[in-house]
Amino acid sequence: MRALSRKTKRAIVPYLLALPAAALILVFLYGVVNGVLQGFGIMPFLGRTEFTLEYYLEALTRSDLTSSILYSLYLAGVSSIIAVIGGVAIAACMTRARTGRFLRLVNVQIPIMTMHSLVALAVMFLFTGSGLVPRVLAAFGLVSDPSSFTSVVGSVSGWGIILVYAWKEIPFIAFSTVAIMASISDSLGEAAAMLGASPLRAFFGVTLPLCKGAIAKAFMVVFAFAFGSYEVPFLLGPTLPQAMPVLAYVEFQDPDIVNRCYAMALNGIMTLLCSLIALAYFAVLNRERKGGTR
Amino acid sequence: MSRRRRGAAPVARFFIVLNLVCVIVPIALIAVWAFADRWAWPDLLPQEFSLRGFSEVFSGRLGTGWPMILLSIGIALATAVLSTVVAALAARAMTLYRWRGRSLFSFSVILPFIIPSTVFAMGVQVLFIHAGIARTVPGVVLSHAIVALPYAIIIMSEVTRAAGTRLEDAARSLGAGTLATTVHVTIPALLPGILSSLSMCYIMSFSQYFLTLLIGGGSVRTFAVVLFPYLSSGDRTIAAAYGLTFIVITFAVFLIFELLLKRFGMKEERTLYG
Repeated sequence: MRALSRKTKRAIVPYLLALPAAALILVFLYGVVNGVLQGFGIMPFLGRTEFTLEYYLEALTRSDLTSSILYSLYLAGVSSIIAVIGGVAIAACMTRARTGRFLRLVNVQIPIMTMHSLVALAVMFLFTGSGLVPRVLAAFGLVSDPSSFTSVVGSVSGWGIILVYAWKEIPFIAFSTVAIMASISDSLGEAAAMLGASPLRAFFGVTLPLCKGAIAKAFMVVFAFAFGSYEVPFLLGPTLPQAMPVLAYVEFQDPDIVNRCYAMALNGIMTLLCSLIALAYFAVLNRERKGGTR
Repeated sequence: MSRRRRGAAPVARFFIVLNLVCVIVPIALIAVWAFADRWAWPDLLPQEFSLRGFSEVFSGRLGTGWPMILLSIGIALATAVLSTVVAALAARAMTLYRWRGRSLFSFSVILPFIIPSTVFAMGVQVLFIHAGIARTVPGVVLSHAIVALPYAIIIMSEVTRAAGTRLEDAARSLGAGTLATTVHVTIPALLPGILSSLSMCYIMSFSQYFLTLLIGGGSVRTFAVVLFPYLSSGDRTIAAAYGLTFIVITFAVFLIFELLLKRFGMKEERTLYG
Protein backbone atom coordinates (compact mmCIF):
# COMPACT_ATOMS: atom_id res chain seq x y z
CA MET A 1 0.00 0.00 0.00
CA ARG A 2 2.70 2.45 0.94
CA ALA A 3 4.82 1.41 -2.03
CA LEU A 4 1.86 2.01 -4.31
CA SER A 5 1.18 5.44 -2.91
CA ARG A 6 4.83 6.34 -3.32
CA LYS A 7 4.62 5.24 -6.94
CA THR A 8 1.53 7.35 -7.54
CA LYS A 9 3.23 10.24 -5.84
CA ARG A 10 6.19 9.86 -8.13
CA ALA A 11 3.85 9.93 -11.13
CA ILE A 12 2.11 13.11 -9.99
CA VAL A 13 5.19 15.06 -8.87
CA PRO A 14 6.47 16.10 -12.33
CA TYR A 15 3.05 17.53 -13.24
CA LEU A 16 2.95 19.55 -10.03
CA LEU A 17 6.47 20.82 -10.69
CA ALA A 18 5.57 21.80 -14.25
CA LEU A 19 2.29 23.46 -13.30
CA PRO A 20 3.46 27.04 -12.55
CA ALA A 21 5.51 27.23 -15.76
CA ALA A 22 2.59 25.79 -17.72
CA ALA A 23 0.35 28.50 -16.27
CA LEU A 24 2.73 31.27 -17.38
CA ILE A 25 3.03 29.73 -20.85
CA LEU A 26 -0.76 29.50 -21.12
CA VAL A 27 -1.01 33.25 -20.48
CA PHE A 28 1.62 33.75 -23.19
CA LEU A 29 -0.25 31.53 -25.64
CA TYR A 30 -3.54 33.22 -24.81
CA GLY A 31 -1.98 36.56 -25.75
CA VAL A 32 -0.55 35.28 -29.01
CA VAL A 33 -3.66 33.33 -30.08
CA ASN A 34 -5.94 36.18 -29.10
CA GLY A 35 -3.85 38.50 -31.28
CA VAL A 36 -3.89 36.12 -34.23
CA LEU A 37 -7.69 35.75 -33.92
CA GLN A 38 -8.17 39.52 -33.88
CA GLY A 39 -6.36 39.52 -37.20
CA PHE A 40 -9.24 37.38 -38.48
CA GLY A 41 -11.65 40.04 -37.26
CA ILE A 42 -12.71 38.12 -34.15
CA MET A 43 -12.99 40.53 -31.22
CA PRO A 44 -15.57 39.18 -28.77
CA PHE A 45 -14.98 42.10 -26.38
CA LEU A 46 -16.37 44.38 -29.12
CA GLY A 47 -19.10 41.98 -30.14
CA ARG A 48 -17.41 41.02 -33.41
CA THR A 49 -17.28 37.28 -33.95
CA GLU A 50 -17.34 36.96 -37.74
CA PHE A 51 -14.36 35.24 -39.30
CA THR A 52 -12.75 37.08 -42.21
CA LEU A 53 -9.53 36.71 -44.16
CA GLU A 54 -9.75 40.32 -45.34
CA TYR A 55 -7.05 41.74 -43.07
CA TYR A 56 -4.52 39.00 -43.67
CA LEU A 57 -5.09 39.23 -47.42
CA GLU A 58 -4.65 42.97 -47.30
CA ALA A 59 -1.52 42.61 -45.18
CA LEU A 60 -0.11 40.43 -47.94
CA THR A 61 -1.19 42.73 -50.79
CA ARG A 62 -1.18 46.33 -49.48
CA SER A 63 2.19 47.62 -50.65
CA ASP A 64 3.21 49.40 -47.41
CA LEU A 65 2.46 46.25 -45.44
CA THR A 66 4.29 43.86 -47.76
CA SER A 67 7.31 46.13 -47.99
CA SER A 68 7.39 46.26 -44.20
CA ILE A 69 7.36 42.44 -44.00
CA LEU A 70 10.26 42.22 -46.45
CA TYR A 71 12.15 45.00 -44.67
CA SER A 72 11.89 43.22 -41.31
CA LEU A 73 13.00 39.93 -42.84
CA TYR A 74 15.97 41.73 -44.37
CA LEU A 75 16.94 43.44 -41.08
CA ALA A 76 16.63 40.27 -39.02
CA GLY A 77 18.34 38.10 -41.63
CA VAL A 78 21.37 40.32 -42.14
CA SER A 79 21.73 41.09 -38.40
CA SER A 80 21.57 37.48 -37.32
CA ILE A 81 23.97 36.26 -40.02
CA ILE A 82 26.49 38.93 -38.99
CA ALA A 83 25.89 38.07 -35.33
CA VAL A 84 26.50 34.35 -35.89
CA ILE A 85 29.69 34.86 -37.91
CA GLY A 86 31.04 37.46 -35.50
CA GLY A 87 29.93 35.58 -32.40
CA VAL A 88 31.48 32.30 -33.49
CA ALA A 89 34.69 34.12 -34.44
CA ILE A 90 34.86 35.81 -31.04
CA ALA A 91 34.14 32.54 -29.23
CA ALA A 92 36.87 30.84 -31.27
CA CYS A 93 39.34 33.64 -30.53
CA MET A 94 38.50 33.45 -26.83
CA THR A 95 39.01 29.69 -26.83
CA ARG A 96 42.23 30.04 -28.77
CA ALA A 97 43.76 32.92 -26.81
CA ARG A 98 42.47 31.47 -23.52
CA THR A 99 41.08 34.86 -22.63
CA GLY A 100 40.98 35.66 -18.94
CA ARG A 101 37.93 36.25 -16.80
CA PHE A 102 38.11 40.05 -16.87
CA LEU A 103 38.15 40.34 -20.67
CA ARG A 104 35.28 37.89 -20.96
CA LEU A 105 33.34 39.93 -18.47
CA VAL A 106 33.88 43.17 -20.40
CA ASN A 107 33.62 41.80 -23.94
CA VAL A 108 30.61 39.60 -23.36
CA GLN A 109 28.73 40.68 -20.25
CA ILE A 110 28.68 44.43 -20.88
CA PRO A 111 26.94 44.13 -24.27
CA ILE A 112 24.50 41.56 -22.87
CA MET A 113 23.61 43.94 -20.03
CA THR A 114 23.31 47.13 -22.05
CA MET A 115 19.79 47.84 -23.23
CA HIS A 116 19.20 47.88 -27.02
CA SER A 117 17.84 51.42 -27.06
CA LEU A 118 20.98 52.73 -25.31
CA VAL A 119 23.12 51.12 -28.00
CA ALA A 120 20.91 52.92 -30.53
CA LEU A 121 21.65 56.14 -28.62
CA ALA A 122 25.38 55.50 -28.87
CA VAL A 123 25.04 54.81 -32.61
CA MET A 124 23.30 58.19 -32.94
CA PHE A 125 26.11 59.86 -30.99
CA LEU A 126 28.59 58.30 -33.41
CA PHE A 127 26.97 58.50 -36.82
CA THR A 128 24.54 61.42 -37.02
CA GLY A 129 25.56 64.68 -38.73
CA SER A 130 27.14 66.14 -35.60
CA GLY A 131 28.27 62.78 -34.23
CA LEU A 132 31.77 61.73 -33.29
CA VAL A 133 32.63 60.02 -36.58
CA PRO A 134 31.94 63.08 -38.82
CA ARG A 135 33.89 65.17 -36.26
CA VAL A 136 36.88 62.86 -36.63
CA LEU A 137 36.48 62.94 -40.41
CA ALA A 138 36.32 66.75 -40.24
CA ALA A 139 39.56 66.79 -38.28
CA PHE A 140 41.13 65.10 -41.27
CA GLY A 141 39.39 67.50 -43.65
CA LEU A 142 37.14 64.82 -45.13
CA VAL A 143 33.87 66.42 -44.04
CA SER A 144 33.22 70.15 -44.13
CA ASP A 145 30.03 70.54 -42.08
CA PRO A 146 27.46 68.35 -40.27
CA SER A 147 25.00 68.41 -43.18
CA SER A 148 27.49 66.86 -45.59
CA PHE A 149 27.58 63.62 -43.56
CA THR A 150 24.69 61.24 -44.25
CA SER A 151 23.05 60.56 -40.91
CA VAL A 152 22.46 57.01 -39.73
CA VAL A 153 18.93 57.89 -38.58
CA GLY A 154 16.34 57.12 -41.23
CA SER A 155 18.72 55.39 -43.61
CA VAL A 156 16.72 52.96 -45.76
CA SER A 157 19.57 50.47 -45.81
CA GLY A 158 19.05 50.14 -42.04
CA TRP A 159 22.77 49.82 -41.37
CA GLY A 160 22.44 51.60 -38.02
CA ILE A 161 19.82 49.09 -36.88
CA ILE A 162 22.00 46.22 -38.07
CA LEU A 163 24.98 47.75 -36.27
CA VAL A 164 23.03 47.87 -32.98
CA TYR A 165 21.94 44.24 -33.31
CA ALA A 166 25.48 43.19 -34.25
CA TRP A 167 26.90 44.99 -31.20
CA LYS A 168 24.35 43.34 -28.92
CA GLU A 169 24.09 39.87 -30.43
CA ILE A 170 27.68 39.03 -31.43
CA PRO A 171 28.58 38.77 -27.72
CA PHE A 172 25.32 36.91 -27.06
CA ILE A 173 26.24 34.26 -29.66
CA ALA A 174 29.77 34.13 -28.23
CA PHE A 175 28.28 33.71 -24.74
CA SER A 176 26.01 30.88 -25.89
CA THR A 177 28.74 28.95 -27.71
CA VAL A 178 32.02 29.63 -25.88
CA ALA A 179 31.52 27.02 -23.12
CA ILE A 180 30.71 24.12 -25.44
CA MET A 181 33.35 25.25 -27.92
CA ALA A 182 36.05 25.33 -25.25
CA SER A 183 35.20 21.84 -24.05
CA ILE A 184 35.12 20.37 -27.57
CA SER A 185 38.31 22.15 -28.57
CA ASP A 186 40.05 20.87 -25.42
CA SER A 187 39.16 17.26 -26.14
CA LEU A 188 38.41 16.48 -29.78
CA GLY A 189 40.06 19.54 -31.35
CA GLU A 190 43.21 18.69 -29.48
CA ALA A 191 42.99 15.10 -30.73
CA ALA A 192 42.65 16.33 -34.32
CA ALA A 193 45.68 18.57 -33.84
CA MET A 194 47.58 15.61 -32.42
CA LEU A 195 46.78 13.68 -35.58
CA GLY A 196 48.34 16.48 -37.60
CA ALA A 197 45.38 18.75 -38.46
CA SER A 198 46.26 22.44 -38.69
CA PRO A 199 44.49 24.68 -36.13
CA LEU A 200 42.14 26.05 -38.80
CA ARG A 201 41.35 22.59 -40.11
CA ALA A 202 40.77 21.28 -36.60
CA PHE A 203 38.41 24.18 -35.98
CA PHE A 204 36.40 23.93 -39.22
CA GLY A 205 36.53 20.14 -39.44
CA VAL A 206 35.89 19.15 -35.84
CA THR A 207 35.01 21.91 -33.37
CA LEU A 208 32.59 23.94 -35.51
CA PRO A 209 30.43 21.02 -36.78
CA LEU A 210 30.02 19.81 -33.19
CA CYS A 211 28.86 23.25 -32.05
CA LYS A 212 26.21 23.40 -34.79
CA GLY A 213 23.32 22.73 -32.43
CA ALA A 214 24.27 25.50 -30.00
CA ILE A 215 24.89 27.91 -32.88
CA ALA A 216 21.56 27.10 -34.55
CA LYS A 217 19.71 27.68 -31.28
CA ALA A 218 21.42 31.03 -30.73
CA PHE A 219 20.72 32.05 -34.35
CA MET A 220 17.04 31.34 -33.89
CA VAL A 221 16.85 33.43 -30.73
CA VAL A 222 18.69 36.35 -32.32
CA PHE A 223 16.63 36.23 -35.52
CA ALA A 224 13.33 36.16 -33.66
CA PHE A 225 14.46 39.03 -31.47
CA ALA A 226 15.70 41.26 -34.31
CA PHE A 227 12.57 40.41 -36.28
CA GLY A 228 10.12 41.25 -33.54
CA SER A 229 11.56 44.07 -31.48
CA TYR A 230 10.27 47.58 -31.57
CA GLU A 231 12.76 49.96 -29.96
CA VAL A 232 15.72 49.93 -32.37
CA PRO A 233 13.85 50.33 -35.69
CA PHE A 234 11.63 52.96 -34.04
CA LEU A 235 14.67 55.03 -33.06
CA LEU A 236 16.87 54.51 -36.12
CA GLY A 237 14.59 53.31 -38.89
CA PRO A 238 13.34 55.16 -42.00
CA THR A 239 9.80 56.53 -42.35
CA LEU A 240 9.26 54.07 -45.18
CA PRO A 241 9.41 51.12 -45.13
CA GLN A 242 8.75 50.65 -41.43
CA ALA A 243 9.80 47.51 -39.60
CA MET A 244 6.83 45.21 -38.86
CA PRO A 245 6.67 45.76 -35.08
CA VAL A 246 6.78 49.55 -35.56
CA LEU A 247 4.05 49.50 -38.20
CA ALA A 248 2.00 47.03 -36.14
CA TYR A 249 2.17 49.32 -33.11
CA VAL A 250 1.18 52.37 -35.18
CA GLU A 251 -1.88 50.48 -36.46
CA PHE A 252 -2.56 49.08 -32.97
CA GLN A 253 -2.71 52.57 -31.47
CA ASP A 254 -5.00 53.94 -34.16
CA PRO A 255 -8.32 55.07 -32.69
CA ASP A 256 -10.12 53.32 -35.57
CA ILE A 257 -10.56 49.78 -34.26
CA VAL A 258 -10.35 48.29 -37.79
CA ASN A 259 -6.68 49.24 -37.86
CA ARG A 260 -6.15 47.04 -34.84
CA CYS A 261 -7.07 44.11 -37.10
CA TYR A 262 -4.25 45.09 -39.48
CA ALA A 263 -1.86 45.24 -36.53
CA MET A 264 -2.92 41.78 -35.45
CA ALA A 265 -2.69 40.42 -39.00
CA LEU A 266 0.89 41.69 -39.12
CA ASN A 267 1.51 40.05 -35.74
CA GLY A 268 0.01 36.81 -37.03
CA ILE A 269 2.39 36.86 -39.98
CA MET A 270 5.32 37.56 -37.63
CA THR A 271 4.26 34.61 -35.46
CA LEU A 272 4.01 32.34 -38.50
CA LEU A 273 7.44 33.32 -39.84
CA CYS A 274 9.11 32.89 -36.44
CA SER A 275 7.41 29.50 -36.00
CA LEU A 276 8.75 28.41 -39.40
CA ILE A 277 12.27 29.34 -38.29
CA ALA A 278 11.73 27.35 -35.10
CA LEU A 279 10.45 24.32 -37.03
CA ALA A 280 13.49 24.45 -39.29
CA TYR A 281 15.66 24.55 -36.19
CA PHE A 282 13.96 21.51 -34.66
CA ALA A 283 14.23 19.65 -37.96
CA VAL A 284 17.98 20.28 -38.01
CA LEU A 285 18.25 19.25 -34.37
CA ASN A 286 16.31 16.02 -34.93
CA ARG A 287 18.29 15.04 -38.00
CA GLU A 288 21.45 15.62 -36.05
CA ARG A 289 20.23 13.47 -33.17
CA LYS A 290 19.18 10.65 -35.54
CA GLY A 291 22.42 10.90 -37.46
CA GLY A 292 24.15 10.17 -34.18
CA THR A 293 26.83 12.81 -34.68
CA ARG A 294 26.95 13.34 -30.94
CA MET B 1 51.78 21.31 -30.44
CA SER B 2 51.80 23.94 -27.73
CA ARG B 3 54.08 26.04 -29.90
CA ARG B 4 51.55 25.91 -32.70
CA ARG B 5 48.84 27.02 -30.29
CA ARG B 6 50.92 29.99 -29.26
CA GLY B 7 51.74 30.76 -32.90
CA ALA B 8 48.15 31.47 -33.89
CA ALA B 9 47.20 33.24 -30.66
CA PRO B 10 48.27 36.79 -31.71
CA VAL B 11 45.57 36.88 -34.41
CA ALA B 12 43.03 35.74 -31.86
CA ARG B 13 44.33 38.27 -29.36
CA PHE B 14 44.07 41.05 -31.96
CA PHE B 15 40.38 40.30 -32.50
CA ILE B 16 39.75 40.20 -28.77
CA VAL B 17 41.29 43.66 -28.39
CA LEU B 18 39.30 44.95 -31.37
CA ASN B 19 36.20 43.52 -29.72
CA LEU B 20 37.13 45.29 -26.47
CA VAL B 21 37.50 48.65 -28.26
CA CYS B 22 34.14 48.22 -30.00
CA VAL B 23 32.49 47.53 -26.64
CA ILE B 24 34.14 50.39 -24.76
CA VAL B 25 33.79 53.25 -27.28
CA PRO B 26 29.96 53.52 -27.35
CA ILE B 27 29.71 53.23 -23.55
CA ALA B 28 32.45 55.84 -23.07
CA LEU B 29 30.74 58.16 -25.54
CA ILE B 30 27.49 57.99 -23.58
CA ALA B 31 29.47 58.69 -20.39
CA VAL B 32 31.13 61.79 -21.92
CA TRP B 33 27.85 63.16 -23.30
CA ALA B 34 26.22 62.72 -19.88
CA PHE B 35 28.57 65.38 -18.46
CA ALA B 36 28.88 67.55 -21.58
CA ASP B 37 27.01 70.81 -21.47
CA ARG B 38 28.31 72.35 -24.67
CA TRP B 39 29.92 70.30 -27.40
CA ALA B 40 29.86 72.32 -30.62
CA TRP B 41 30.85 71.09 -34.06
CA PRO B 42 33.57 70.19 -34.99
CA ASP B 43 35.45 69.87 -31.68
CA LEU B 44 36.50 66.39 -30.63
CA LEU B 45 35.98 67.18 -26.95
CA PRO B 46 33.18 69.07 -25.18
CA GLN B 47 33.82 72.74 -24.41
CA GLU B 48 31.89 72.81 -21.16
CA PHE B 49 30.94 70.17 -18.61
CA SER B 50 28.05 70.25 -16.17
CA LEU B 51 25.75 68.06 -14.10
CA ARG B 52 22.62 69.41 -15.81
CA GLY B 53 21.68 65.97 -17.14
CA PHE B 54 21.86 64.32 -13.74
CA SER B 55 19.96 67.07 -11.98
CA GLU B 56 17.20 66.35 -14.51
CA VAL B 57 17.32 62.60 -13.81
CA PHE B 58 17.20 63.10 -10.05
CA SER B 59 14.92 66.13 -10.07
CA GLY B 60 12.16 64.03 -8.50
CA ARG B 61 9.68 65.62 -10.86
CA LEU B 62 6.80 63.40 -12.06
CA GLY B 63 8.01 60.12 -10.60
CA THR B 64 11.57 60.43 -11.81
CA GLY B 65 14.72 59.99 -9.75
CA TRP B 66 14.93 57.58 -6.84
CA PRO B 67 11.22 56.56 -6.67
CA MET B 68 11.40 55.50 -10.33
CA ILE B 69 14.73 53.73 -9.83
CA LEU B 70 13.50 51.85 -6.75
CA LEU B 71 10.27 50.88 -8.51
CA SER B 72 12.25 49.47 -11.46
CA ILE B 73 14.64 47.56 -9.19
CA GLY B 74 11.69 46.18 -7.20
CA ILE B 75 9.87 45.02 -10.35
CA ALA B 76 13.07 43.47 -11.73
CA LEU B 77 13.83 41.64 -8.47
CA ALA B 78 10.26 40.33 -8.21
CA THR B 79 10.43 39.18 -11.84
CA ALA B 80 13.80 37.51 -11.27
CA VAL B 81 12.56 35.61 -8.21
CA LEU B 82 9.25 34.60 -9.82
CA SER B 83 10.72 33.28 -13.06
CA THR B 84 13.66 31.60 -11.36
CA VAL B 85 11.46 29.73 -8.86
CA VAL B 86 9.02 28.68 -11.59
CA ALA B 87 11.92 27.67 -13.84
CA ALA B 88 13.69 25.70 -11.07
CA LEU B 89 10.56 23.58 -10.53
CA ALA B 90 9.97 23.14 -14.27
CA ALA B 91 13.61 22.23 -14.89
CA ARG B 92 13.35 19.53 -12.24
CA ALA B 93 10.30 18.06 -13.93
CA MET B 94 12.00 18.25 -17.33
CA THR B 95 15.36 16.73 -16.41
CA LEU B 96 14.74 14.30 -13.52
CA TYR B 97 11.37 12.73 -14.37
CA ARG B 98 9.89 10.83 -17.29
CA TRP B 99 6.28 11.73 -17.89
CA ARG B 100 3.71 11.95 -20.63
CA GLY B 101 3.71 15.37 -22.26
CA ARG B 102 7.28 16.17 -21.29
CA SER B 103 8.52 16.93 -24.80
CA LEU B 104 5.48 19.08 -25.58
CA PHE B 105 6.11 20.96 -22.33
CA SER B 106 9.83 21.39 -23.09
CA PHE B 107 8.92 22.85 -26.46
CA SER B 108 6.21 25.15 -25.07
CA VAL B 109 8.39 26.76 -22.44
CA ILE B 110 10.79 28.15 -25.04
CA LEU B 111 7.95 29.68 -27.12
CA PRO B 112 8.61 33.17 -25.70
CA PHE B 113 12.03 32.86 -27.34
CA ILE B 114 10.47 32.23 -30.73
CA ILE B 115 7.42 34.47 -30.79
CA PRO B 116 8.28 38.18 -30.42
CA SER B 117 7.23 39.84 -27.19
CA THR B 118 5.64 42.69 -29.16
CA VAL B 119 3.11 40.17 -30.55
CA PHE B 120 2.45 38.85 -27.05
CA ALA B 121 2.14 42.35 -25.60
CA MET B 122 -0.43 43.59 -28.11
CA GLY B 123 -2.44 40.37 -27.89
CA VAL B 124 -2.52 40.00 -24.12
CA GLN B 125 -3.33 43.62 -23.26
CA VAL B 126 -7.08 42.96 -23.44
CA LEU B 127 -6.79 39.97 -21.08
CA PHE B 128 -4.85 42.00 -18.54
CA ILE B 129 -7.39 44.82 -18.71
CA HIS B 130 -10.27 42.37 -18.14
CA ALA B 131 -8.41 40.65 -15.31
CA GLY B 132 -7.85 44.03 -13.68
CA ILE B 133 -4.06 43.69 -13.61
CA ALA B 134 -3.28 46.08 -16.47
CA ARG B 135 -1.66 49.29 -15.23
CA THR B 136 -0.59 47.55 -11.99
CA VAL B 137 2.83 46.46 -10.74
CA PRO B 138 1.80 42.76 -10.35
CA GLY B 139 0.58 42.75 -13.95
CA VAL B 140 3.89 44.14 -15.19
CA VAL B 141 5.86 41.61 -13.09
CA LEU B 142 3.75 38.75 -14.48
CA SER B 143 4.30 39.84 -18.09
CA HIS B 144 8.05 40.28 -17.52
CA ALA B 145 8.31 36.86 -15.86
CA ILE B 146 6.69 35.24 -18.90
CA VAL B 147 9.24 36.61 -21.38
CA ALA B 148 12.15 35.93 -19.00
CA LEU B 149 11.04 32.33 -18.39
CA PRO B 150 12.89 30.64 -21.30
CA TYR B 151 16.22 32.14 -20.20
CA ALA B 152 15.64 30.95 -16.63
CA ILE B 153 14.56 27.49 -17.77
CA ILE B 154 17.60 26.99 -20.00
CA ILE B 155 19.99 27.99 -17.20
CA MET B 156 18.17 25.96 -14.53
CA SER B 157 17.89 22.84 -16.73
CA GLU B 158 21.63 22.90 -17.25
CA VAL B 159 22.48 22.98 -13.52
CA THR B 160 19.70 20.59 -12.54
CA ARG B 161 20.96 18.04 -15.08
CA ALA B 162 24.55 18.53 -13.90
CA ALA B 163 23.61 18.16 -10.22
CA GLY B 164 21.55 15.00 -10.78
CA THR B 165 19.97 13.19 -7.85
CA ARG B 166 22.98 11.35 -6.39
CA LEU B 167 23.50 13.71 -3.46
CA GLU B 168 19.77 13.93 -2.75
CA ASP B 169 19.49 10.15 -2.75
CA ALA B 170 22.45 9.91 -0.42
CA ALA B 171 20.93 12.46 1.97
CA ARG B 172 17.60 10.64 1.93
CA SER B 173 19.21 7.26 2.53
CA LEU B 174 20.89 8.81 5.57
CA GLY B 175 17.44 9.72 6.84
CA ALA B 176 17.06 13.38 5.84
CA GLY B 177 13.48 14.52 5.24
CA THR B 178 12.23 16.37 2.18
CA LEU B 179 12.65 19.81 3.72
CA ALA B 180 16.14 19.11 5.06
CA THR B 181 17.24 17.63 1.73
CA THR B 182 15.90 20.64 -0.18
CA VAL B 183 17.49 23.20 2.11
CA HIS B 184 20.84 21.51 2.73
CA VAL B 185 21.46 19.56 -0.47
CA THR B 186 19.36 20.59 -3.47
CA ILE B 187 19.47 24.38 -3.15
CA PRO B 188 23.24 24.59 -2.45
CA ALA B 189 23.92 22.35 -5.48
CA LEU B 190 21.75 24.57 -7.69
CA LEU B 191 22.91 27.88 -6.25
CA PRO B 192 25.26 28.93 -9.09
CA GLY B 193 22.47 28.36 -11.61
CA ILE B 194 19.95 30.12 -9.41
CA LEU B 195 22.20 33.19 -9.22
CA SER B 196 22.86 33.24 -13.00
CA SER B 197 19.17 32.90 -13.66
CA LEU B 198 18.27 35.68 -11.20
CA SER B 199 20.83 37.96 -12.79
CA MET B 200 19.68 37.23 -16.37
CA CYS B 201 15.98 37.70 -15.55
CA TYR B 202 16.77 40.86 -13.62
CA ILE B 203 18.45 42.36 -16.69
CA MET B 204 15.58 41.23 -18.94
CA SER B 205 13.01 42.93 -16.74
CA PHE B 206 15.00 46.07 -16.03
CA SER B 207 15.46 46.84 -19.73
CA GLN B 208 11.94 45.89 -20.86
CA TYR B 209 10.35 48.88 -22.60
CA PHE B 210 7.57 47.82 -24.97
CA LEU B 211 5.92 45.26 -22.71
CA THR B 212 6.02 47.62 -19.71
CA LEU B 213 4.51 50.40 -21.81
CA LEU B 214 1.62 48.26 -23.03
CA ILE B 215 0.85 46.42 -19.79
CA GLY B 216 1.78 49.28 -17.44
CA GLY B 217 -0.18 51.67 -19.65
CA GLY B 218 1.81 54.70 -18.55
CA SER B 219 0.95 54.31 -14.85
CA VAL B 220 3.81 51.93 -14.06
CA ARG B 221 6.69 54.20 -15.00
CA THR B 222 9.87 52.14 -14.84
CA PHE B 223 13.30 53.44 -15.77
CA ALA B 224 13.13 51.97 -19.28
CA VAL B 225 9.75 53.64 -19.90
CA VAL B 226 10.81 57.05 -18.55
CA LEU B 227 14.13 56.98 -20.40
CA PHE B 228 12.84 56.06 -23.86
CA PRO B 229 11.27 59.37 -25.00
CA TYR B 230 14.51 61.20 -24.13
CA LEU B 231 16.44 59.07 -26.61
CA SER B 232 14.84 60.78 -29.59
CA SER B 233 14.20 64.12 -27.88
CA GLY B 234 17.28 65.90 -29.19
CA ASP B 235 18.68 66.86 -25.78
CA ARG B 236 21.73 64.64 -25.85
CA THR B 237 22.95 65.57 -22.37
CA ILE B 238 19.75 64.45 -20.65
CA ALA B 239 19.44 61.33 -22.80
CA ALA B 240 23.04 60.38 -22.00
CA ALA B 241 22.60 61.12 -18.27
CA TYR B 242 19.60 58.78 -18.17
CA GLY B 243 21.56 56.22 -20.17
CA LEU B 244 24.63 56.37 -17.95
CA THR B 245 22.56 56.12 -14.75
CA PHE B 246 20.80 53.11 -16.24
CA ILE B 247 24.08 51.43 -17.18
CA VAL B 248 25.65 52.09 -13.76
CA ILE B 249 22.67 50.63 -11.90
CA THR B 250 22.57 47.54 -14.12
CA PHE B 251 26.31 46.95 -13.69
CA ALA B 252 26.13 47.46 -9.94
CA VAL B 253 23.41 44.86 -9.56
CA PHE B 254 25.26 42.50 -11.90
CA LEU B 255 28.43 42.86 -9.83
CA ILE B 256 26.51 42.00 -6.67
CA PHE B 257 25.31 38.79 -8.36
CA GLU B 258 28.87 38.10 -9.58
CA LEU B 259 30.27 38.48 -6.08
CA LEU B 260 27.62 36.16 -4.68
CA LEU B 261 28.46 33.70 -7.45
CA LYS B 262 32.12 33.88 -6.57
CA ARG B 263 31.35 33.39 -2.90
CA PHE B 264 28.99 30.44 -3.36
CA GLY B 265 29.75 28.66 -6.58
CA MET B 266 33.24 28.97 -7.96
CA LYS B 267 33.27 25.58 -9.65
CA GLU B 268 30.02 25.52 -11.57
CA GLU B 269 30.37 29.13 -12.57
CA ARG B 270 33.38 28.21 -14.68
CA THR B 271 31.29 25.83 -16.72
CA LEU B 272 28.78 28.59 -17.42
CA TYR B 273 31.34 31.04 -18.69
CA GLY B 274 33.60 28.47 -20.28
